[in-house]
Amino acid sequence: MPMKGRFPIRRTLEFLQKGETVFKKSVQIMTVNYNTHGDLSEGARKFVFFNIPQIQYKNPWVQIMMFKNMTPSPFLRFYLDDGEQVLVDVEGKDHKEITNHVKMILGKSDKVLEAEALAKMELSNPANFGPKKYFLRECFSEVEGQVPHPGFVPLPKEMTGKYRAKLAAGSDE
Amino acid sequence: MLFPFPRGYRDCELHSWQILTSCDNKLGLQNINGMSTRQASVHAKWIIGQVIGTKMKKTAKVRVTRLVLDPYLLKYYNKRKTYFAHDPLEQCTIGDVVLLKALPEKRSKHVNHELAEIVYKVGQVVDPLTGKRVAGTQYLEPLTESTEDTEVSLKEKLEQLNITASTTPPSAS
Repeated sequence: MPMKGRFPIRRTLEFLQKGETVFKKSVQIMTVNYNTHGDLSEGARKFVFFNIPQIQYKNPWVQIMMFKNMTPSPFLRFYLDDGEQVLVDVEGKDHKEITNHVKMILGKSDKVLEAEALAKMELSNPANFGPKKYFLRECFSEVEGQVPHPGFVPLPKEMTGKYRAKLAAGSDE
Repeated sequence: MLFPFPRGYRDCELHSWQILTSCDNKLGLQNINGMSTRQASVHAKWIIGQVIGTKMKKTAKVRVTRLVLDPYLLKYYNKRKTYFAHDPLEQCTIGDVVLLKALPEKRSKHVNHELAEIVYKVGQVVDPLTGKRVAGTQYLEPLTESTEDTEVSLKEKLEQLNITASTTPPSAS
């Protein structure tokens, strides 16, 4: 049973997470003006179709607005925190070129992203145990290869306390 | 026929846009010089929207759309929210696309933003790339400005060319 729609891969989490453009903190609004007809707007249309969901997924707090057929030539406009506006002309460009350009001018660099990912990993240390909400595992018995809780799997007879006690009592006598 | 609400609109974990709508006006208590003042902080510092009403005195009703991911379809849909913006000069008309800036303090119970600039005035859209007035995909003003009068230059140009009817037929070489 195939997925519905023209390019249903756009609607998969894997595709959304593949987006690499993470905007800097100062970017508040992104506006895309493009046209529905015309060859020069083709790149912009593909950009809106494929890449905007990826960008919005990675930047949930940036407001993205699309305007169709307002001006003859397509462009992108970014509104930054200090009131500055960045205008990007995308007439005739391919959607991959547009994404790379946007990533270069207003996206966080790979180094910064790696550093952030590292910092996030340091916060969640898999060596710690505790409630499921904050940690990976609650008890050491959840690790593969360790003795599970007797509540889930009964212990072999040799490991039960009462058998050991009986053995000890038998050996004493 | 599209449903009015996308499928899968059940109770799901709050995503960023819902968090924004539920606690949009965070009232924080701040101690400035030992004196505690209530400072209303709106999460969105800058927003863009379309004016939908101007019947209030010095206030514009602005509709802001943000892209929200439907949790089941994994597709982005526009979610609307109306904001009230302070417009002291009453320069907005219905249909303008407007940039709003968050006010440092709440102006009234509902007004937290003020008009920063009118991005696209309805009927008088100016193309930011060329600076000319534009209607849809057509330019209203000519792109290249003519420096001379067209009538005068045409006569002068014809005189300069000195075209005379030649008696001998052109020889094919």
